[in-house]
Amino acid sequence: MELKTVRDAFDRVAKKQKLSASKYQQVIDQVGDEIKQAMTDIQSADPPSSIDHKSVITNLKRKLDTIIPQEQLEKSQKELNTNLSQYPKILGKFLDTDISKAYRNVDFDLHIVNQIIISQLYHEGLFDVADILINEAQEPEIISLRCHFVEMHQILKALKARNLEPALSWVSANRHKLKQSGSNLEFDLRRLQFLELFQKGNQSDAINFAKTYLSPFASNYRNEFLKLMGCLLWPGKLQTSPYSDLLLPAKWEDLIKEFTMQFCSLIGASSKNPLSVTIEAGAQGLPTLLKLANIMAVKKQEWAAMKQLPVAVELGSEFQFHSVFVCPVSRDQSSDDNPPMLLPCGHVLCNQSITKLSKNNTRMFKCPYCPFEAWVAQCRQLCF
Amino acid sequence: MEPLANGNSTVATATTASPTATSLPSLHAGVPSSKLSQLTDSLKLEHQFLRVPFEHYKKTIRANHRAVEKEVSAVMSGLSDAADLSQDDAVQHLNSLVSRLQGLKRKLEDGSRAEHLQAQRCRARLDHLESADADNISEWNNTRLKRILVDYMLRMSYYDTATKLAETSSIQDLVDIEIFYEAKKVIDALQNKEVAPALAWCAENKSRLKKAKSKFEFQLRLQEFIELVRSDNNVRAVMYARKYLAPWAATYMKELQKVFATLAFTSNTGCEIYKVLFEPKQWDYLMDQFKQEFCRLYGMTMEPLLNIYLQAGLSALKTPFCYEDDCTKEDPLSQESFRKLAMPLPFSKQHHSKLVCYITKDLMDTENPPLVLPNGYVYSTKALEEMATNNNGKITCPRTGLVYNYTEVTKAYIS
Repeated sequence: MELKTVRDAFDRVAKKQKLSASKYQQVIDQVGDEIKQAMTDIQSADPPSSIDHKSVITNLKRKLDTIIPQEQLEKSQKELNTNLSQYPKILGKFLDTDISKAYRNVDFDLHIVNQIIISQLYHEGLFDVADILINEAQEPEIISLRCHFVEMHQILKALKARNLEPALSWVSANRHKLKQSGSNLEFDLRRLQFLELFQKGNQSDAINFAKTYLSPFASNYRNEFLKLMGCLLWPGKLQTSPYSDLLLPAKWEDLIKEFTMQFCSLIGASSKNPLSVTIEAGAQGLPTLLKLANIMAVKKQEWAAMKQLPVAVELGSEFQFHSVFVCPVSRDQSSDDNPPMLLPCGHVLCNQSITKLSKNNTRMFKCPYCPFEAWVAQCRQLCF
Repeated sequence: MEPLANGNSTVATATTASPTATSLPSLHAGVPSSKLSQLTDSLKLEHQFLRVPFEHYKKTIRANHRAVEKEVSAVMSGLSDAADLSQDDAVQHLNSLVSRLQGLKRKLEDGSRAEHLQAQRCRARLDHLESADADNISEWNNTRLKRILVDYMLRMSYYDTATKLAETSSIQDLVDIEIFYEAKKVIDALQNKEVAPALAWCAENKSRLKKAKSKFEFQLRLQEFIELVRSDNNVRAVMYARKYLAPWAATYMKELQKVFATLAFTSNTGCEIYKVLFEPKQWDYLMDQFKQEFCRLYGMTMEPLLNIYLQAGLSALKTPFCYEDDCTKEDPLSQESFRKLAMPLPFSKQHHSKLVCYITKDLMDTENPPLVLPNGYVYSTKALEEMATNNNGKITCPRTGLVYNYTEVTKAYIS
């Protein structure tokens, strides 16, 4: 791993620096001692006139000239200097020295970027940081968003402390909307509440709770409901029962995730912060874009005017938000004018490719991927 | 359309949430090779992260070295002076030399403490890069976002926000707040139309600026000259020019001549070429120039990291579909602000088909192949199978409302 090489190079610098620092100390001490010695020599001479202070000082000077390892100091400094100038070179060898090469000179609107950052900070629950930024950058507050996220983080904080109440009251306030979206959130919350209650050991409480709060879910969540009722057979030893998986701490984490998703979706936000999604995509895409920038620089091509990147930037599947169909024959991306078409054999090509293969819809054509022959009229437009 | 879109996203969670604990290990076993190479690639982007604290460290080392050299040679020449004094004075003089050495020693101790802290910071950065692996990647990515944000705030001079964010995220060692405070002094002064701190900064970094053929000091001097002309102090302006501008004459003759002509035109000139020299925006220009020089000296990128990453991410994510009305909320480009930023950027390109199920948002590949309804709409096998089992073999197309039998669906082969 190249990071190790970098680390070794740094260790060399640090070692040399320590060495030369201790050398300095040594020299300073030595010079100080010699001067002090000379002072005592002068002062302790008896009688005072028996010694010529001038000659003492001249001697001292001669002595210091020889002991101050002037060259030695310079030598250690030189070695340190070599290492100091080597380290950036090593960094340059293993890392991209200037990632702004991949940056196209288009100015981002400062105000938009700041607003995006403020939303991001709200989303993360860093309200105090956001407030300072609003003040420093003189940006307007995004009040409604702030309120929403304050509420979300309060509920999340309670959930992390295993307090379900705030989440439950939010759910009951938004029951209608949640139902529309087919969310299981309320049942998930009640289930955990039931298990907590049952774990505490009061069985009749648990049964009463089930009667009031769980029974409405019995028809829609039949299997899950039966499982919970099954739990009642294992008072105090649920851990060793077939239902022990219901007690996994991961259930709480899942609930927190599910709640975040539902909350964000109700306020019209994405569950993962859009800024962090984009920055992550940027980190994955930058290496390719840098290579591209280098090639473009060699070819002296201008890429400011480009409508589409000339290379594919591979991102993880978590960044795939849309279906992209690329015709295997023409390599074109499908579009409204050139939609994907399903051949009777099940293979899919773009409309333009089919038109070409069928000589402008005048004859049958063979599928490029199997022996099947078809008329254009037999092909069906697809919608992904 | 709204309730439908929401409905779809819940199905997605229901399917992804259930197999969590058990499927994680297998997921990891399958992922590493591509994920890890992606990780090493993105670590290569971290040049500034390692370089900046090192430049700071180097600067401290050099400063300490210069202090030693200066003091030791001063003491040595002080010795020669002592020889010419009377005995008592000589002893006193020697004594002052000794205390001077002690002062140096104390200074060096402070200096090496600073060196030590900065070396530690360099190491903390290396540790942080080494700590990135498949298990903690989302946390690591989160820290990277925070680092990038702090960098942005520092460059925009939002110092309080930067400090607060670094504190709350405990990443003080991973960001360069102190270094930017050095710039703050100069920037604040330039904002108040003072050049002295900027000139001091130039003197401090003289050799490196010279090596980089920087013009910044010359520009500062020009501005001072202009200010003298503005205040009708022509004699002093000429004196100033002789002393500070003349040395640059060989390299920047044209500009020098132009600025010199302001002596004749004076500050209330109507002549465009000379009028701009007196405008306040010259100071903004100097400020930008300083920021650039400063970043160059420390090995930082010229643009804030945020802008670089954001732009790359937007380019990679931008497709024509992002601008359609039914674009999913999870896509950053569904938001107006991101769309605006992406406006001047090119669309991404794909070499291969990548199909995402409208219902579950899962990738439709060989494991979860796409199925075609009689109306030509395509959904993933997983989604349709689930729908069919829950509805006695009936399938409702969520986008058209048409109902079909599961037996009517056909396979599509996407290559």
